Amino acid sequence: MECHAYLPRSPRARFRRDRRAMACLIILVLELLLVFLLPPLLGLEPNISDMEAGFWASPSQEHWLGTDGEGRDLLARLLCGGQVSLLIGLSAAAISAALGVPLGLLAGYRRGAWEFWIMRLADIVQSFPSIVLVLCLVALTGPSALNIVLVLGLLGWTGIARLVYGNTLTVRDQEYIVAVRALGASRSLILRRNVLPNVISPVWCSIPLRAGRAILSESSLSFLGVGIRTPQASWGSLIKAAADLTVLTGRPWAWLPPAACIILTVLCLAGIGDGLRDALDTRNRRMPDR
Amino acid sequence: MKKLTALFLSLALLLTLAACGPEGKAADVVRYGMSNAWDTLMPYNSPSGSNYTRIVCDKIYDRLAYVHADGSLDPRGAASWESADDGMAVVFHLDEKAAFHDGTAVTAEHWADTIALMTNPDCPALGRSVFNVLAGTDDNGAAIQGEALGAEAVDEYTLKLTFKTPTTPEDFLLDRNREFYVLPTHLLDGTAPSEVMDLELWEAPVGSGPLKFVEEIPGSQLTLQANPDYHLGRPGFDTLVITVMDKSNLLPSLMAGDLDYYAFGGNLSVESAETARKGGIEVLEGTVPNSFYELMLNNQTISSSAIRRAIDLALDKDALCLHTAQGLGEPTATDLTPGTEYTSSLTWNRDVEGAKALLAEGGYDGSTYTLACTSNRSGLAALMQQQLAEADITVTIETVDSATLFSGMADGKYDMAIASHTPGALPLWFTESRFSEGNNIFHVSDLSPYTALIAQIKATSGGAERQALVDQLQELLAQERPFIPLWFGRTLHAQSPTVDNIDYPSSSFSNENVWEWTLK
Amino acid sequence: MGRYIRRRLVTAIPVFFGITLLVFLMVNLAPGTITDLMGEGASSEADRAALEAALGLDQPLPIRYVQWLAGLFRGQLGQSFFYDRPVSRLIAQRVGPSLLLTGSGVVLAVAIALPLGILAAWKPRSVWDRLASVLSLISYSVPGFFLCLAGIALFAVTLGWLPARGMYTAGSFTSLADLLRHLILPAGVVCLSSLGELVKQTRAACLEALGQDYIVTARAKGLTEGAVMVRHAFRGSLVPVLTTILSHIPHILGGSVVVEQIFGWPGMGSLLFSGISQRDYPVVMGVTVVIALAVLLTNLLLDLVYGLADPRVRYGKG
Repeated sequence: MECHAYLPRSPRARFRRDRRAMACLIILVLELLLVFLLPPLLGLEPNISDMEAGFWASPSQEHWLGTDGEGRDLLARLLCGGQVSLLIGLSAAAISAALGVPLGLLAGYRRGAWEFWIMRLADIVQSFPSIVLVLCLVALTGPSALNIVLVLGLLGWTGIARLVYGNTLTVRDQEYIVAVRALGASRSLILRRNVLPNVISPVWCSIPLRAGRAILSESSLSFLGVGIRTPQASWGSLIKAAADLTVLTGRPWAWLPPAACIILTVLCLAGIGDGLRDALDTRNRRMPDR
Repeated sequence: MKKLTALFLSLALLLTLAACGPEGKAADVVRYGMSNAWDTLMPYNSPSGSNYTRIVCDKIYDRLAYVHADGSLDPRGAASWESADDGMAVVFHLDEKAAFHDGTAVTAEHWADTIALMTNPDCPALGRSVFNVLAGTDDNGAAIQGEALGAEAVDEYTLKLTFKTPTTPEDFLLDRNREFYVLPTHLLDGTAPSEVMDLELWEAPVGSGPLKFVEEIPGSQLTLQANPDYHLGRPGFDTLVITVMDKSNLLPSLMAGDLDYYAFGGNLSVESAETARKGGIEVLEGTVPNSFYELMLNNQTISSSAIRRAIDLALDKDALCLHTAQGLGEPTATDLTPGTEYTSSLTWNRDVEGAKALLAEGGYDGSTYTLACTSNRSGLAALMQQQLAEADITVTIETVDSATLFSGMADGKYDMAIASHTPGALPLWFTESRFSEGNNIFHVSDLSPYTALIAQIKATSGGAERQALVDQLQELLAQERPFIPLWFGRTLHAQSPTVDNIDYPSSSFSNENVWEWTLK
Repeated sequence: MGRYIRRRLVTAIPVFFGITLLVFLMVNLAPGTITDLMGEGASSEADRAALEAALGLDQPLPIRYVQWLAGLFRGQLGQSFFYDRPVSRLIAQRVGPSLLLTGSGVVLAVAIALPLGILAAWKPRSVWDRLASVLSLISYSVPGFFLCLAGIALFAVTLGWLPARGMYTAGSFTSLADLLRHLILPAGVVCLSSLGELVKQTRAACLEALGQDYIVTARAKGLTEGAVMVRHAFRGSLVPVLTTILSHIPHILGGSVVVEQIFGWPGMGSLLFSGISQRDYPVVMGVTVVIALAVLLTNLLLDLVYGLADPRVRYGKG
């Protein structure tokens, strides 16, 4: 199962040759850099009202994307909102993976009661449409960026756990694992050294996808008004302005950029996920068209 | 493949058909939107006690009078009224043509029985405290055993209400008319008071109002039918459909022709008004304030009145009002509604340096205050946060729903919160309920100075003497600053030009003249 | 077979209790209750206490859970705080519109996804294949609420072709055309948000089927490509596609919560949303538990049917 042995190039090299995935990665990295570096460089203040420019000012030299209903610079809010959205997406995905991988490993390797209860827990969580549970939990615990990350992260582990679980089941009875076990290696050592490396690759592909979903969930929540806490911005809360017909039809500069950012980011994350899948997958090489 | 193509084509055909189908509007339907749901159709059993429930019950049940936005009164269930017993009572002469939807005539007996039943301690009525002005009831509006209840049928069409303190008919009706409905008590005969609220009747209610109940999807939609025999005239349409919809949907729906009217205005912004006018929508500007914004303070956690006054000085009410009401409002220093009988000479101004001085005087230790607001006011809260920051007061904002906001204020969890109210015409419309033992939401440690003044104002009949007391109360409030009055706002109201004769402003008293509405 | 069913049921029972417990705790440990809503008016302490007692809020948590659970078994979901009537009746009124919306969205999505997925698999790199990948990318990356807004702005306000919200013009059913006109936009959004995954799965399943031995045999027998596609590849891919559709139900249901809220569709989603903002615990609990149990039941039935059809499943998994 070790991919390196069978293929001429390492997954890393394969990923680098994947032009689409690399483009997605570069865009995402650029986006991260812009979002985190531009505000301090340009001295942008996302939460200060410019009473001279007024509420809902049109784009100008001073405010490239105009101001919002509170007179705050929209470019600054777009960038700082991007920090929030990206951080929420990435950290929720990280929490999901950090939970899902060990739980999946335990369920698949130790089986028995572990398997039963972990998989039942996954069944319970997966019985709910995720947005329903997230909506209830965030609304009831009080909307804030931290709560959103926690709720999205804590509920997102099931998919990853199932992936790891399935793979662990096939790996655990393979001869070399049985051999290592017979040599008397401790359980945690086997799990870390022998099982984990063999089941982890699909997780790498699903993390970007999870991050994309988390960004979408966060934007839905913020749009519905149960998202992050004011005056903080996120891309979803910026699009909320477009619920007002006047803004939607008359001020595209207020909502088009955040909408484009969400779509672009999610697409890039999906592209990276696809690229990782192709690079790490030893059996099915790429689909003929992609 | 053929089958699929056929399916595809027929689906496409169906969709085009539907899209080009006739303009589905039946000519005699008025489509009425509102932003929040009513809860029940039993007016005395409403857990929320909200204006949304009141304005819906206003259609099905009849009230004593119709209150205009400026406080003037028109007959409704009662054709006329006069003061009696040296001002301790009011006699109502009921309209003899009024009848319930089942044909039974409305008599004074119905009114007296309604009040007797709802004040009966065995009856689990939720909104009972509305009756606590009547003689023979306690502070919660429950009848006191052995005392005569202040509601009696003098003859078939004469109802007499007796009060605890001298009350003019006008004061009573301005204050309580929106809460007094007549119930079909003839249908309740033989039901124990404790079981009245469980009756199926309230899910398909019979009232004596201008519209009859047809069908309800709780929380979403209510279909009502014109009552052809309404004693003030038959509404000029057949069906009224009330739908709960988000405010953001108001304008698109009006412009797409899916809506005729939106209750309580929906706070159309000045710019949206432009869009609306271009789309052929009627936009009316209110002449009477219909919203009062306040910053609620927690007097326990912000215990120094100097700090509370500093917060007041640090706020730029003009900018806040401009932001939220887009100039359609007047910043204020008091809770007295402009244009009403009693006024105050107090003024407000922003003074950041003065605020800083007061902060030093009050011993502000730089602690961070929590400001709660609902999500639609988060922009306003952010502006306040900045203005307070200029005076070195740090604030964090919690965006919560209104239930959490009020529970958090009541529990002392928040230091301040933004709230808005429908202003009343009486000088105590705001203060009386806010400064009472049962509802001390500002956490004032000693209510007695307020309650004493309030009681005095209530006991004084009017004129310069009452004005002097009102001034005294306002000065006390300015000194102590238990809450900060922000501004009185008027709103822009949008309605489709398909319905005539709407007296929209009066909805601030939770009544609407639906029987006079006509379709064009 | 009996053993398989029993084993499957044994796994479903803890999930059932887990779902109810999760819903109950989630809602009951949150701050803020309905009685605080009354704080806005001139209500008194006594009114409050009466209300709390009337609503049963003065009981300790475990007792409330057991009471709620016992009610659940009898099909009673408690009394709504806000509407003061049985939650089950509130939900019963909303199930129909929700099913109509999600159902028509899914049917529309399947009607588009199946042919498109097959075409895309049949002719890789063709226009169809490109269309399929573009559609699935849009459907994955564009937030549903954004599609709603764009739809309203374009079709309802600018073009004036379709109504912006609601289910009927006159409050109740008058004609099928009226209902369909109201259905198009929300169902279109539901369709578009689930379309991508379905197209992707159909295409993948067809591609896989095309590589199977029986297809090779069929081709060898000299059948035309079209006949191979429709008769064999399509049939072979039907089961995985159906599985995808069914496993997507929670996701689609979740998407329609947002859609219902924006379009004012009188379904379970808008009931849930109003329940959340009104702190109407029984309604929130009722709707979430009904949705989750429906998903649980669908999965259970699906597993049983698979078990009946395929002996490997019966003995294979726990």
